[in-house]
Amino acid sequence: MALSLGIDIGGTFTDLVLHDPDGLRSGTLKVLTTHADPVLGILDGTRRLLADRGVPPAAVSRVVHATTLFTNALIERKGAVTALVTTAGFRDILQIGRERRYELYDLQLVPPAPLVPRELRLEVPERVKADGTVLQPLDAAALEAQVAEAVAMGAQSVAVLFLHSDLHPAHEAAAAALIKKRFPQVSVTASHAIVREVREYERGSTASANAYVAPLAERYLARLGAELTGLGIAGPLVLMLSNGGLTHLQEAQRAPVQLLESGPAAGGLAAAFLAGPEEARVLAFDLGGTTAKLCVVEHGEPEVVFGFEAARQARFIEGSGLPIRISTVDLIEIGAGGGSIARRDAIGLLKVGPDSAGSEPGPACYGRGGQAPTVTDANLLLGYLDPARFAGGELPLDRAAAEATVARLAEALGLAPQDVAWGIHDVATEAMAGAARTHLAERGRDAAEFTLVCTGGGGPVHGCHLARKLGIRRLIVPPEAGVASALGMLAAPPRVDRVATLGRRLKEWSAADLDAAFAALEAEAREVLALGGWQDAALAPERLVDARCVGQGAHMPVPLPPTPWPVADAALHGLVAEAFHRAYQARYSRPPPAVPIDLVHARVVLRGRRKATAPTPRLGTAAGTGPERREVRFEAGTMTASVFSRAALPAGFTAAGPALVQEAGSTLVVGPAGRFTVLDSGNILVELG
Amino acid sequence: MALDPVTLELVWTRLISAVDEAAKAIVRTSFSTLSNEANDFACVLTDAAGHSLAQNTGSIPSFIGTLPATVRAVCAAVPPETMRPGDVYITNNPWIGTGHLNDISLVRPVFSGGRIVAFGATTSHVPDIGGRIRSTEARELFEEGFHIPPMRLLRDGAADASLITLLRTNVRTPDQTEGDVWAQVAALALIHDRVCQTLADHRLADLAAVAAEIFGRSEAEMRRRIAALPEGCWRHAMQTDGLEEPFTFQVAVTLRGGGVAVDFAGTSPQQPRALNCVLAYTTAMTAFAIKALLLPELPNNDGIFRAITVTAPEGCILNPRYPAAVGGRAATGHYVPPLIFGALAEVLPEKVRAAPGSPLWIMNLAGTDDRGRTFANVLFFNGGTGAGAAQDGVDAVSWPSNISATPVEIAERTAPVLVHRKALREGSGGAGRQAGGRGHETVVECEAADVAAVFVTERLRFAAPGLFGGEAGALGEVLIDGTPTDTRRQQTLQRGSIVTIRTPGGGGYGRKG
Repeated sequence: MALSLGIDIGGTFTDLVLHDPDGLRSGTLKVLTTHADPVLGILDGTRRLLADRGVPPAAVSRVVHATTLFTNALIERKGAVTALVTTAGFRDILQIGRERRYELYDLQLVPPAPLVPRELRLEVPERVKADGTVLQPLDAAALEAQVAEAVAMGAQSVAVLFLHSDLHPAHEAAAAALIKKRFPQVSVTASHAIVREVREYERGSTASANAYVAPLAERYLARLGAELTGLGIAGPLVLMLSNGGLTHLQEAQRAPVQLLESGPAAGGLAAAFLAGPEEARVLAFDLGGTTAKLCVVEHGEPEVVFGFEAARQARFIEGSGLPIRISTVDLIEIGAGGGSIARRDAIGLLKVGPDSAGSEPGPACYGRGGQAPTVTDANLLLGYLDPARFAGGELPLDRAAAEATVARLAEALGLAPQDVAWGIHDVATEAMAGAARTHLAERGRDAAEFTLVCTGGGGPVHGCHLARKLGIRRLIVPPEAGVASALGMLAAPPRVDRVATLGRRLKEWSAADLDAAFAALEAEAREVLALGGWQDAALAPERLVDARCVGQGAHMPVPLPPTPWPVADAALHGLVAEAFHRAYQARYSRPPPAVPIDLVHARVVLRGRRKATAPTPRLGTAAGTGPERREVRFEAGTMTASVFSRAALPAGFTAAGPALVQEAGSTLVVGPAGRFTVLDSGNILVELG
Repeated sequence: MALDPVTLELVWTRLISAVDEAAKAIVRTSFSTLSNEANDFACVLTDAAGHSLAQNTGSIPSFIGTLPATVRAVCAAVPPETMRPGDVYITNNPWIGTGHLNDISLVRPVFSGGRIVAFGATTSHVPDIGGRIRSTEARELFEEGFHIPPMRLLRDGAADASLITLLRTNVRTPDQTEGDVWAQVAALALIHDRVCQTLADHRLADLAAVAAEIFGRSEAEMRRRIAALPEGCWRHAMQTDGLEEPFTFQVAVTLRGGGVAVDFAGTSPQQPRALNCVLAYTTAMTAFAIKALLLPELPNNDGIFRAITVTAPEGCILNPRYPAAVGGRAATGHYVPPLIFGALAEVLPEKVRAAPGSPLWIMNLAGTDDRGRTFANVLFFNGGTGAGAAQDGVDAVSWPSNISATPVEIAERTAPVLVHRKALREGSGGAGRQAGGRGHETVVECEAADVAAVFVTERLRFAAPGLFGGEAGALGEVLIDGTPTDTRRQQTLQRGSIVTIRTPGGGGYGRKG
């Protein structure tokens, strides 16, 4: 049987997972990310993993890859020297932006710097009106001269942004073709080829980000593909997209901006995947050192939005980053993790985060010089963490250091240290609960219908308390899943998203024209998938329309009924209007006002079939000797909790809280009202009374 | 029982996230560009006495303290003991609201255990309120649109049909204006639910103890920061474009005993034009400036502002008498923060900024396009901000409001205009050790006949001054077909008319060199 290899490059580690459908030769490996040349780490890890499992490279039928390299290039502003070609008169579009501040009271506010410096923002005579009239033809000679100058100044990549190219892309396409021909060494991104949506700043920002990472992506992906082939791996290299789907090498090189969030997308998929198909509604909860991430996954599909912000200037503040109009797993990220620092604020309240001690120096209890009290310090003092067995015993925790720093904060707040420790845990968890509550409410979802799937070092520690705050009754804690993301990717389906401006009222569209607009996008999407060798038969196209009431500024994606559509105009108008009403009612809990419907963009999502992949259960064999006991603080007060070692628990084992279940990378904290059961899959199910 | 700092944090965060959630709902469903693109709305939760406990995080400075005042005015007009759960009250009176008729404010009592424990309040700039279209030429309030005194909109959840009919009859966009009122009603329901849930989760009977603690702690901290400054009285005056004659703005900021008293005596008298700024708006702008200087990190609440008193002689442009015309109050009120920065420059040289190229500029175009469809479009333009001690000013950005400019592609698809150019104005930021932010130049061609153009502009005659030897920013300019135009009067554009808009630069900071 064919094997799959998943590779996930993160900031610190590169995770590899080898999946054998028969289970016999499956295996995982974690290696350090080799920042100078990430391919080296991948190759080294791949060789070791295959050798370890006795698998010849030729037996690997495909390699699935996710990476944070491109996002990091944006954040650290370490991408290619990029030029931007615009319609004459509009070179400052990226710098002027939306003319808004992301923070109102900060008088010292600094806006994010544009990716393209002013000397590389070029203007070319050309102009097409919104109705398609060509006011001024593209001046090819001027374009060539301008680009030549930019190349002489070191430009390695060029983005082209002409007004109204979402409707009339001919000039942009011609300019891109000319640049490619005359300057073959330069990467070219035409804005309409990345995102065919109205709004020049957002489209330009997306195109520039693509241009900025394209040379890096082209080089890196080509080399990785070649090196894997060189190892003898016969299968293709496929890439994880930000939306949780897969794509092939050519599409990833053409539009790498689609891969910016591939790492987090893989994380969301992994949670759902590990929880198993019987969990229809999952709230994936990952708590790491600096952030908590939450993501809704329904029927195995992570929730997707059609735009996000990359490289935020002020972390967690909306509006401080670069708008990227690309479909992306809808992830809430909150500045509350194990390293988040607790402090007394200006008026004496207890605040936690978003400042983080990170891993260096880390929480005070790491004993590496960290002085500030963190969430991990609090969790230690509450009895949740075993100081001798933290990180599998490799990082003994310094309880005295945690006590000292929390005591200092307690004095500043006028509270007992134990109450402050509980307060830190509670405030951090409330930050996560608040974000989740708002996120779910905005989507008309009821938290009680979800299962919370807890991953990351802190997920199982905070999971039960978070669930209680949200009214969630079921939690799933997968076995320690250090390389879960890499595994989750293997089950992802191929996916292509395409968008185009519609820009007219529903009633102004004939059924034939509207159908044709979607059909054209579908044809484009099918072509992309065909290039990857994904067979047509496996594909299920989905049509959505960005719609609003005429006059509303915001639009929302509305899923449309399956094809074939009625050919009579009135019948199709009725269907679309009905879909809009349904979506509006679900989202805003009231029917839309009696105002005509405006169709903004057509969207097509084309998915291939997902691979049937199941994780290999990992279970203990016996409960071993009776559990230890430990004094643990909960909301209601201090209690004696049973302490179990997860590795020793067999399937079917069940016990009531208060209890702690320890494994190398985390501890599951079950409160007095909870009961946990080890499932056949190796997952632990916690039910809250 | 005194509340501990952990419980307070948990409860207060929940209350703030309740108003933030309501705000998101308004952004998504409102018809007004000003609400959904410019955050020109606010959601507030007050205690049972009408003192602000939580205000949505992104709400623009114009609304600091205005909604709580509206709640108190509604309570004065309608005795709270006659209110019932499911009631919603409404007003757009500029003096007790937000300063002009275009903002409709709603108030809903939050009941718990059979009594009022809080009020939810929202305000939103509706797409149209009747009257003249955003013209500064109005001479009295009566020309500016439909005026709703504090009255009941919903009784036990049922709407007053007469009021709705009257409102619909008096505005140009009945469906959209009414739609935005319902968007606010939905937001208030959301606030009501979230507050009740928070009370239940924390086993609180009401918000009295929480409010007392938040107000007390916030007031103490604000007074502590004020007390850390040298006592004394600092004055500042400046002139602005005005009408036939320039306007004079004058302020005296007195720091004494942990309080700030701000008085605008000496400021020009009110005008028979829609440039008057009611005291509520003046107060909001003053509170914004002082909070941004001294306590920017703390969420807005009544306690912060108890240490600040604002006075202005009745009948001046910063405190006009009813029925003065007030529609363009931002063009006056936006001068207040730089005025206060000027006064406090010697006291807080590291914090203040040189004057910005604001107030906000507006161009309204209305007419009929070639296909016979009527249109009315609003375009916003921003100048650069002033420089600070350690940063240059920001280019072309909204300040102190937060209004996005309309994208060129959207403008051209919704009105018969062709934009030839939109670029930063080189050299428009005031020179200095730190340079002021640049304005931009936008060139718009009119593509229909007989289009009415109404402008709101400032700093065409008086530039944004620099600080500590920094130079002033460039003046703004508005040209029609190359000739400077009178932006205080409605202009008529013809097909092919070219309007050139050059927004002002911000002032520089410190001597250059």
